[in-house]
Amino acid sequence: MSLSSVGDRTRERYQATVPEHVRDRLEEHRPLLLVLPGLIAFSLFMFFPLAYTIYLSFTDAEPATVFQDGPGGLTGFFGLRGEESFVGLENYIAVFSDPTFWNSLGVTWLFVICSVALKVLFGVGIAMIMTSDRVKGRRYMRSIIIIPWALPPIFTITIWSGIFSSAQFGLANQAVIFLGFSEQAWLNDRWMAFASYLLTEMWLAYPFMVIITVSALQAVSDELMDAAKVDGAGYFHRFWHVTVPSIKRPVMFAAILTAAASFTQFLIPYVFNRGGPNRANELIVLHGYQEAFNFNAYGAGAAIMMSAVAFIGAFMIVAVWKGRLAEGVDGP
Amino acid sequence: MTVREWFSNRIRNDVRTVVQKPAEWREDVAYTVDGMRRGTIDPLDVAKTVLATLATIVFVFVLLIPVYWIFIIALQGEGATLYSTDSAGLIPSQFDPAAFVWVIGDIAIPGAIVGITIPFTDVEFYISWPRIVFLDASNYVDSTSDFPRYFRNSMFISFWTVVFAMLMIVPAAYAFSRREFAGRMKLLYGYILFTQVGAGLGIASVIALYTIFSSMGVTNNRLVLSFYYAAMAVPFNTWLLKTYMDSIPTSLEEAAIMDGASPFRVAWEVVLPLAKPGIATIFIFIFLVGWMEFIIAQLILSPEHYTLPVGLFSLIDEHNVPWGQFSAFALVYASPVVFIYMFAQRYIEDGFSFGGTKG
Repeated sequence: MSLSSVGDRTRERYQATVPEHVRDRLEEHRPLLLVLPGLIAFSLFMFFPLAYTIYLSFTDAEPATVFQDGPGGLTGFFGLRGEESFVGLENYIAVFSDPTFWNSLGVTWLFVICSVALKVLFGVGIAMIMTSDRVKGRRYMRSIIIIPWALPPIFTITIWSGIFSSAQFGLANQAVIFLGFSEQAWLNDRWMAFASYLLTEMWLAYPFMVIITVSALQAVSDELMDAAKVDGAGYFHRFWHVTVPSIKRPVMFAAILTAAASFTQFLIPYVFNRGGPNRANELIVLHGYQEAFNFNAYGAGAAIMMSAVAFIGAFMIVAVWKGRLAEGVDGP
Repeated sequence: MTVREWFSNRIRNDVRTVVQKPAEWREDVAYTVDGMRRGTIDPLDVAKTVLATLATIVFVFVLLIPVYWIFIIALQGEGATLYSTDSAGLIPSQFDPAAFVWVIGDIAIPGAIVGITIPFTDVEFYISWPRIVFLDASNYVDSTSDFPRYFRNSMFISFWTVVFAMLMIVPAAYAFSRREFAGRMKLLYGYILFTQVGAGLGIASVIALYTIFSSMGVTNNRLVLSFYYAAMAVPFNTWLLKTYMDSIPTSLEEAAIMDGASPFRVAWEVVLPLAKPGIATIFIFIFLVGWMEFIIAQLILSPEHYTLPVGLFSLIDEHNVPWGQFSAFALVYASPVVFIYMFAQRYIEDGFSFGGTKG
């Protein structure tokens, strides 16, 4: 018995039981039914937790109150409504008057600005090398060079934490000793730790920039390039006046996406030193996570997360609107 | 063409290209040398090219030193450490596969006794076989890692993630590609947007997610975690498969409809078989979601259900990291992913052309 004959029989039964006008409406929207399971599942896990985060941010939720009647309790809505009580804006006021929050937000923006600048410079640089006519076998090197992108993030980040180990023969220490400096306790110093985050983030994210830039570079008009050469424009002149204008849009687009990724960077500070030393380098998402799970203040943690979402949302809207990047998605 | 043929063709082509390359290079070099001798090619130009290429190779190597370094440490056995000159350099001082043996443990077919009863008779017989050991880890190392257990957990979660996700994604991609319905373009744009911001929002709502899972008593439930991964995989993979289906010509379907096939049969017997390569691609992507995710997994799973990434991280003690063991574990965990990516790279690059939403 083939599957389609099962389908036929189900259809007969369906036609016998469902009245015609209902069937007509269903027929009209039937393709939507194919989309709905995925859409509902995704919305359930994307928007419901977000809404619940908003709810938690207005309550005094902590493990003792939220899980009052134990897991699976049936009071309220599947036990989601525990003994926590509304506290209005108290969490937000507490968070906004807490200097560690502002420190965390400042560090996060600094991280975003520095890492995006580094990623763009480094990514475009590599892409220029990897499309240069002088370099033979560049296609193969391109496929090797994006390897960091393929590796599981937890794998690469733990390796980098080993590189910045304060042990004498950690790779970073070997490098500085080789260069004639004395060894460092990388992750115990605030700015050293910050710099090591930056380097790691750059290493993790350059393949994305390289891929986008390479495909943009390949679209640069050869005729324009040749014309510039004939006119006697030097290499940097050509780069600035021919290459840059044609790759600006895709690179901007990639930069904004990777800025959003940097803003929500969690694993690097978490794995390296839990945002230390002394919580100085807690990027914003880690800050919310620590408040919630280390200090058991779920309400305050949720308030921090929502503030982060508001900031990054505002940034994305401005960036997309200013850069008119939606056109990039519209395609030809 | 079956998926297997399609894949084996691809692999065969890749291998052939790799094997033939050296010969091509030799010809190129011979041509260049010949040209220089006859004076048609400028030696200065050649020198520049050679230097640029060599410099780039060195640069690529320097860039990938972290991976090379971890490989070298893993090759030097269990005791490799960063606290002595012996094992921490870039040139290995010794080779010792013990760390890998520690990761994998015994390689053996477990012994078992299987009883078979023939129904309606009293005949019963037993088949038994002893444990067949190919590699006995205890000959080389004192203890073995929990890698096999983590591996089983990861496989379990990834398997169910793929099942759940396929059930949701394949019909949806078909509808997006071949049907017209209210809000189709809006939904598609929404999906594309969430391929980019979804991960960030997911991390931001991690507190609520944990609270919800705990309140409903489903922490440490691997199936729920699989379903969560599957749901999060929906936007990107639906979009990817839809783009693939768009590239399948509609003429075959039209022919099938002319022959009187029902819409269901057209979808099942015409479109799906043609979309197999696309389905294989999203299979890989979805599988890797469960294979690589760390944050949610470490938050809700207990040690007996740890997946590979969580297991890897649990090897790290704040003050004393067993570098040899850690490196070997990490390499065994990550290597399949690298091979898959190298193979799938052409699709990843294609996926970044933003023409995918038209129509």
